[in-house]
Amino acid sequence: MKTNFENINWKLQILGDHALVFSLEEKMSEAIIEKIITLKKNIETFHFDFIKELIPSYHTLTLVYDIDLFYQNNITVKNNQSVFEFGNDMLTAFNSAATNSTIKNAAEKIKTNNNLIKKNSSTALKKIIRIPVCYDERLGIDLENIVSKNKISMEKIIQIHTEETYLVYCLGFLPGFAYMGKVNESIQIARHATPRKEVQAGSVGIAGMQTGIYPMNSPGGWQIIGRTPIKIFDKDPAILGKLKAGDRIQFYPISFSEFKKLNEYK
Amino acid sequence: MAIQIIKKGIADTIQDIGRYGYQHLGIQANGYLDYQSARLANYILNNPINAPVFEIHFPASSFSFTQAHTICISGANFVPLLNEKSIALYTPIEVKENDVLQFLKPLQGRVAYVAIQGKIKEEAWLNSHSYFANSIQKDAQFEWEASEQPLKNSSNQLQVFKGGTTTIQEIQSHVFSTAPLQFITGPAWNDLTQEAQKVFLSTEYHISRQANRMGYPLKGALLQLNKPNQYLSAAVTRGTLQLLPNGELMVLMADHQTIGGYANLGQIILVDLPRLAQVSNQTSIHFRETTIDTAHKLYQQIEKKFIHRS
Repeated sequence: MKTNFENINWKLQILGDHALVFSLEEKMSEAIIEKIITLKKNIETFHFDFIKELIPSYHTLTLVYDIDLFYQNNITVKNNQSVFEFGNDMLTAFNSAATNSTIKNAAEKIKTNNNLIKKNSSTALKKIIRIPVCYDERLGIDLENIVSKNKISMEKIIQIHTEETYLVYCLGFLPGFAYMGKVNESIQIARHATPRKEVQAGSVGIAGMQTGIYPMNSPGGWQIIGRTPIKIFDKDPAILGKLKAGDRIQFYPISFSEFKKLNEYK
Repeated sequence: MAIQIIKKGIADTIQDIGRYGYQHLGIQANGYLDYQSARLANYILNNPINAPVFEIHFPASSFSFTQAHTICISGANFVPLLNEKSIALYTPIEVKENDVLQFLKPLQGRVAYVAIQGKIKEEAWLNSHSYFANSIQKDAQFEWEASEQPLKNSSNQLQVFKGGTTTIQEIQSHVFSTAPLQFITGPAWNDLTQEAQKVFLSTEYHISRQANRMGYPLKGALLQLNKPNQYLSAAVTRGTLQLLPNGELMVLMADHQTIGGYANLGQIILVDLPRLAQVSNQTSIHFRETTIDTAHKLYQQIEKKFIHRS
């Protein structure tokens, strides 16, 4: 029987002279980003010194490498490998690892029989990161906008935004800025045509089917529905970004006074 | 204090080779725009080649030294003056207490580097001293711990070590050559119409006035895709040729964001990025497709020059 993985075709491309891209179908999908993250973890276990970056984003994993170190590396030099062949090997290794875990999973299934769902799904095992958000209109400056454009009450917007869990598909734009989805259709709204000159750090916004948090004050076009008092990015090297691609998060509402008490952005 | 900014430039920063390993968190790499010229200045001073240097744009900052240092200027020729007297590029220069370094006018190139012999006294962030966003302000002060590497010969003249001269000439002529910029086609290259591919490969472009460390927008023929310019965001690199929705091109430079959702037509190869970094607004540029094998060979040839000093 074919696994999910084998049904989906990986594509390998070179990206200029110092990066490779592994990609799956161009689609915002939980199953796809999870495979991307698994491939990333898989490649990380080899600890190749020539790999400078492994950047996951939606349906792609980009591997940035150091050209000199690549050719100095014993494994690649011995086999006289090109970077493309090396990338292919990584996919082969991933393929067999995926097969192994499928076998392991199958064995597990027989053993535990009843507890299938929890053991099988990596998502179910993953901890959900809970983030407090104050949806007070003083902070959620575009709530009114969504109420009038989407014909929905403010209470309903908050309820819908907080009852779903979101997956982080990538980070970008600013250090620590996580693109999360998918936002329920009833509260989806396009970015502002003209971005604001400054959006406050901690602001929680919606742009189409995505939601995100501004880690620092910055110009920005997302529709702001609230603000978190929690710092999601810290320059301290021991902390840095609290959200990573593949993380699952859920927002929960707090009052304005709780926000002021918890505010880490002072 | 050792080095003081007495006049603010438009976009001067401190840069080294940049920070890697954090782009999955959305943290940009930053680093030198022209890594070849920057490293050359360090090489001449016997510094570690990837060490932090001042990256200077024109109109440039003016510097005052509050103690003696050995410095080296490389990259663009902005006519450097020490106490109002012209000084040479690609040469170790001794500066004394109260000396003033200024830049008169842009003669050639667009990014100059000022390397200071020794080590910067400042903590790195994530293994790099590279600035992002903010530029150096007036009255900013920087301390450098002078190293005791002698660069003097018997007649007490500062000099470049033997063998260095060839390296300097070779790299300088590479950086300022007007040969077409080489690129490798990217994921969206085949989404260009055939007409657009031809136009891109055969017409000339200029760098727009809006160019900065994040990206160089290009002026020239507009290009069209045979599909909507909408892609799921994926990682980009320095040198990525992005096609914007209005048909204009933008080359991503050292301060580029980590991911991008516009058509990725290709990436300029690493050895040619310093050449693009130095192109003035008046100079026309052309593009030529190349292969990864060629790119790697050229890269290693340049790297060898830095490693094998004799």
